[in-house]
Amino acid sequence: MAYKDFRDFLATLEKEGQLLTINDEVKPEPDIAAATKAMSKLGAETPAMLFDNIYGYTDAKVAMNVMGSWPNHALMMSLPKNTPLKDQFFEFARRYDQFPMPVQREETAPFHEVEITENINLFDILPLFRLNQGDGGFYIDKACVISRDLDDPEHFGKQNVGIYRMQVKGKDRLGIQPVPQHDIAIHLRQAEERGENLPVVIALGNEPAITTAAATPLLYDQSEYEMAGAIQGEPYRIVKAKDSDLDIPWGAEVVLEGELLAGVREFEGPFGEFTGHYSGGRSMPVIKINRVYHRQNPIFEHLYIGMPWTETDYMIGINTSVPLYHQLKEAFPNEIEAVNAMYTHGLVAIISTKRRYGGFAKAVGMRALTTPHGLGYCKLVIVVDEDVDPFNLPQVMWALSTKMHPKHDAVIIPDLSVLTLDPGSSPSGITHKMVLDATTPVAPETRGHYSQPLDSPVNVEKWEQRLRELLR
Amino acid sequence: MHTCPRCESKKAEVVSKSPVEGAWEVYMCPVCIFTWRSIEPETITNPEKYNRAFKVNPADIPNAENVPALPAKYIK
Ligand SMILES: [Zn+2]
Repeated sequence: MAYKDFRDFLATLEKEGQLLTINDEVKPEPDIAAATKAMSKLGAETPAMLFDNIYGYTDAKVAMNVMGSWPNHALMMSLPKNTPLKDQFFEFARRYDQFPMPVQREETAPFHEVEITENINLFDILPLFRLNQGDGGFYIDKACVISRDLDDPEHFGKQNVGIYRMQVKGKDRLGIQPVPQHDIAIHLRQAEERGENLPVVIALGNEPAITTAAATPLLYDQSEYEMAGAIQGEPYRIVKAKDSDLDIPWGAEVVLEGELLAGVREFEGPFGEFTGHYSGGRSMPVIKINRVYHRQNPIFEHLYIGMPWTETDYMIGINTSVPLYHQLKEAFPNEIEAVNAMYTHGLVAIISTKRRYGGFAKAVGMRALTTPHGLGYCKLVIVVDEDVDPFNLPQVMWALSTKMHPKHDAVIIPDLSVLTLDPGSSPSGITHKMVLDATTPVAPETRGHYSQPLDSPVNVEKWEQRLRELLR
Repeated sequence: MHTCPRCESKKAEVVSKSPVEGAWEVYMCPVCIFTWRSIEPETITNPEKYNRAFKVNPADIPNAENVPALPAKYIK
């Protein structure tokens, strides 16, 4: 069930008709980013793309949009590619419950094939290119960045695997954005308090389970490797770094070993972000690279990010919704049905729930605001009945159109916390938040005319399943 | 030395040349760290045509906010 490495996943995408190879010559800019953005505009079922004829290069290969659609997300979990979104959500939630899955340690890895320790030049090693026109340079934005807790270095779970934007700022130098809420920022603070550099490893071109786990909001002491194992249903394979005690995804295409420089901040950005706006022009930490390894003829995996929806939104949709679902379930185990927090990383979230009594749905919405993820997101929470599929926006719009009474069902709470990247927040990091109750009123809240809901013809659900199998 | 299209410093240097000889070069500005490829559109490569909203004044760079904040012992 697990994919051995990045190439194994690409091979599956190809077999399933979910990989488009572009053999025609393209320019690094603006063609690769433009083609990838255009692909995202074609819908939610698009293929990954492999560019293998890039102007000025002899043998570079660039993979884009690898998890940029729901079929590709389903294949990440080895599900049939036409698995409905709500089913992908429930299957992800089931595997999330299998955490932690112990890791499998290896001595050697394919990326050991080529090793560079002298005259490192990232601009020569990687086919880097600009994504958006206002970007301050060439970025790496889908790599796993690994670091350890310096005060508790033996704690495997406190080793962090995260995805951070990194600007290539020199032949062996990267800028990184560790916003204070991120785990790596805790490690950096420990290092800077000691006056030591923080060892880091950067792994590019990974199979998709670790990328998904790295992009899942886990607790500080939960291991992304043990979550990747739970997601793929098999122990996740890792191998030790040479310059530090860090663990590296075994199947990576390219690995950079280095150190975050204590006490250094340097001008970074701007960079087009997942909010659909640029951020940057700030001074951020710097990583010095000391060692590079890669497979022969490595494939460079990159991610176009910009005005939603792009690959990012598919990559962080389900794995953001599931932790919120679990946290709401802790409060209301018998009522919460499903959670869709896929819009701009959950700035808008939709919750479907049963109601015990009048006013209950609003309480569910308020609870979402106080979950760990809700503190930085959930600016708008829409609550719908348990028989409304929160992943089916026409159904959600139907609920808003017919169940919501603006006088009774729109609740605004002033001046709550939100991530600073929210361009509407004012001051940055503070915003009003809103709960829209689009559930059917229940006693003692008796208003409106809801006593005659339409039913469906008998056996619609059986037919739905049967048709899906016929169309597979 | 090349002129940086973004901050107009004259100190940008070649950091990479295309594996196919003569196809392109990549430059980096040590002042504002802007990086660009010689064959990008003129709105990227030409200081006159670079988007004004994204221009950088070198005088502003030392005042950029530190993210995350630096511990007190590093602040001079
Ligand atoms: Zn400059």
